[in-house]
Amino acid sequence: MSNDFSQFQEAFFEEAGDHLAIVEEGLLALEQHPEDLDLLNKIFRSAHSIKGTSGMFGFNAVAQFTHKMETLLDLLRNGQKVVTLEIADLLLKSTDCLKTLIDAAKTGSPVDGDTVQRLTGELASASDLKVEAELKVKAEAKVEGGPSESSLTSALTSTFLIAWTPPEWLFQRGLDPLQIFKELANLGTLSQVAVDTSKLPELVAMDPEKCYLAWTMKLETAKDRQVVDAVFEFVREDSVLVIEQVKVEAKAKVEGGPSESSLTSALTSTCEPGEPKPLGEILVETGIVSRETLNHALAQQKRVGQILIEQHAATPQQVEQALQKQKQQESASQSKKTDTASIRVDTAKIDKLINLVGELVITQSMLSDLGSRFEMSQISVLLERMAQLERNTREIQERVMGIRMLPIGTAFSRFPRLVRDLSARAGKKIQLVLSGEETELDKTVIESIGDPLTHLVRNSADHGLEPPEERLDNNKPELGTIRLNAFHEGGNICITVEDDGRGLNRDKILAKAVKQGLIAENEKLSDDQIWLLIFKPGFSTAEKVTDVSGRGVGMDVVKRNIEGLGGTVSIKTALGKGTVFTLKLPLTLAIIEGMTVRVGKDTYIVPLLSILESIQPKAEVMKTVIGKGELINVRSTYLPMMRLYDVFCLQPEYTDPTKAILLILETEGERVAVMVDEILGQQQVVIKSMEQNFRKVAGVAGATILGDGTVGFILDVRGLLEMSRQSMLVAA
Amino acid sequence: MIKTALVVDDSPTMRQMVAFTLTNAGFNVLEAEDGKDAVTKVAGGPKINIVVTDLNMPKMDGISLIKELRKMAAFKFTPILMLTTESAADKKQAGKDAGATGWIVKPFNPEVMLKIIAKVLPA
Repeated sequence: MSNDFSQFQEAFFEEAGDHLAIVEEGLLALEQHPEDLDLLNKIFRSAHSIKGTSGMFGFNAVAQFTHKMETLLDLLRNGQKVVTLEIADLLLKSTDCLKTLIDAAKTGSPVDGDTVQRLTGELASASDLKVEAELKVKAEAKVEGGPSESSLTSALTSTFLIAWTPPEWLFQRGLDPLQIFKELANLGTLSQVAVDTSKLPELVAMDPEKCYLAWTMKLETAKDRQVVDAVFEFVREDSVLVIEQVKVEAKAKVEGGPSESSLTSALTSTCEPGEPKPLGEILVETGIVSRETLNHALAQQKRVGQILIEQHAATPQQVEQALQKQKQQESASQSKKTDTASIRVDTAKIDKLINLVGELVITQSMLSDLGSRFEMSQISVLLERMAQLERNTREIQERVMGIRMLPIGTAFSRFPRLVRDLSARAGKKIQLVLSGEETELDKTVIESIGDPLTHLVRNSADHGLEPPEERLDNNKPELGTIRLNAFHEGGNICITVEDDGRGLNRDKILAKAVKQGLIAENEKLSDDQIWLLIFKPGFSTAEKVTDVSGRGVGMDVVKRNIEGLGGTVSIKTALGKGTVFTLKLPLTLAIIEGMTVRVGKDTYIVPLLSILESIQPKAEVMKTVIGKGELINVRSTYLPMMRLYDVFCLQPEYTDPTKAILLILETEGERVAVMVDEILGQQQVVIKSMEQNFRKVAGVAGATILGDGTVGFILDVRGLLEMSRQSMLVAA
Repeated sequence: MIKTALVVDDSPTMRQMVAFTLTNAGFNVLEAEDGKDAVTKVAGGPKINIVVTDLNMPKMDGISLIKELRKMAAFKFTPILMLTTESAADKKQAGKDAGATGWIVKPFNPEVMLKIIAKVLPA
């Protein structure tokens, strides 16, 4: 039997993370509703769970700290203390501290001991705890935790006379006196057990569920009084119980006073239960050597390294190096352990998946049955089965991707706290409104959007929203609002960060961009193009760099991060009314919905999301403008046109656009028309990275394996747009 | 005969650890995530030989669960252990008043837990 709990550690850290989020969220909500008892109970339960479970793994720092928090929370929920701003603040800070303590337990990251100490003190004084009461609780817990340990040391045989009158309701609590006698008999020799039936009423008056009996008995045992007391642990307080120690016989000489025995128990308790005791321990217990003699002997014992050095088998340096190596290996094995990422999956999802696999198996067996006795007349049945197989496969694929899907709420949960801190520091009144938290997207995407989102929210709080006076002057409510929303749109997920602040200032941005040499002085730009300037590296219109905005991450990094995930950022803004940043992200990074197109003999895949429409142009809409390359007029808008065979140097079927097909592609609000020979169809493709397998190729986002086994390239629409701009410059 | 234990705790990690300890000791374990869940699961379920329950839980806490169970004929004399971190006397008393047989203090050592169970569970 192995009772190793370490396998549950990972689960604990996950659970603790959830509880921390509940505590933090709860505390924030508590500031608005300080009287909400349900909320307090919820927070308390989470703190309580962390405390209880962390103790199981020996994370004592976590358990002790949480205990302090819990004590204060308990006073709050009992109404003995009132939730004030200070207390809420203290608890929030403590939650942060607890997070670092849990991280420390997980990865061995350093902990700021002073903060822990200071907060522990503040929590204690906020709870008006008396130090002695605290100590008593600990002492009690210790005794209860290990009644068995103290039995290891005694070498005496004592005789106890026990008189026990249990409470009448003994049976109703599920207690059985027989169990107690059995346990006593296990301790030594139980004799002279006599039952007192004097309280037994007449049969008619007797309630068979009550205990009317009392017992006296004699117990000879080598265990001490504590152990005998512990037998009655659950009934002691409610029984009339007399345990009298009548005789003590020494079987061996026992050394020393109380300090010795506590030392013994401290040493023995370090042995794993069930492991044989060290030789020295046995010698001391049986009284052959004294504790001092043993300690003296142990002190003379040498380490392996020292012995080897003395025998000239190794030099001190070599031993030192070996020790270093050992340490490195230890830490390496530790860090490896914390690297494993796990995901918690709703069992309902797995059940559905199993169900689907079952269906797939049925379809497969139907197909093989059909195949074994196939006649041409059954072709329609075959097609039907194939369609069924396709349905099954697609659904399984969706479900498997679904396993990696998590609600975005986990990424949103950090923001209430962030906004609270930001509003306090910037002296602005800000409310945060979250919606669409249940929208699901890929775990890796969720993990990667945390930082960009944080930056956008910081940006809105810092630059977007005006100070309260300015808002009042502009007839706006003093309280500024930041909205975070997530929703599905086609195969994408959209996340919007919206504020009702001052909006982007066109002139200010232009002036700044000119000053920084990002654009030429008299360059004519559309509004959308101007807004995109704020994503250029090094661009910032903020007059002062605040503690809030200065984090080394600019808007350019936001854009880069989002694009790295295959997403886009767009801006909508109205001066004086506010700004909306919209992040458009793919649901998953592994699969895209694509349109297969043909150029000559080659097949390319265009991401479906970027296709607006496909047209076969008439000759009169084609224009060639010097310095701008070829243009095409689509409903009175001129778009640049690219011939895909030119870009990739291919042999096309058609060179005349009126015979070929033009795909109108869009990314980040910019459009381009791309000329191909033919549209083949729509299919989902699994993206294989070019960088990992070959190298980066301009205009190509990745590759995939097509149905006939050949490789098809996935077009990078952004890259194509860049290329068209480059070629215009060259042409100019 | 294989004995069945009902383990009630809202913390999945804690519940799994208790279940793990008991399974290793040869118990058949029925898990419930709060008092309400426990009451639902024991109805029509297997005969329970011992109950180990947490006290602080949403929906129905441990004390209410113990009271509910003691009202049922099948649980009249079943040993019920409270799993508790609080050594506070009032919690313990409240548990006893509700009909709890005894208690196990968290964090628990598996050996100690099994010893306490052996103490109250007739062979």
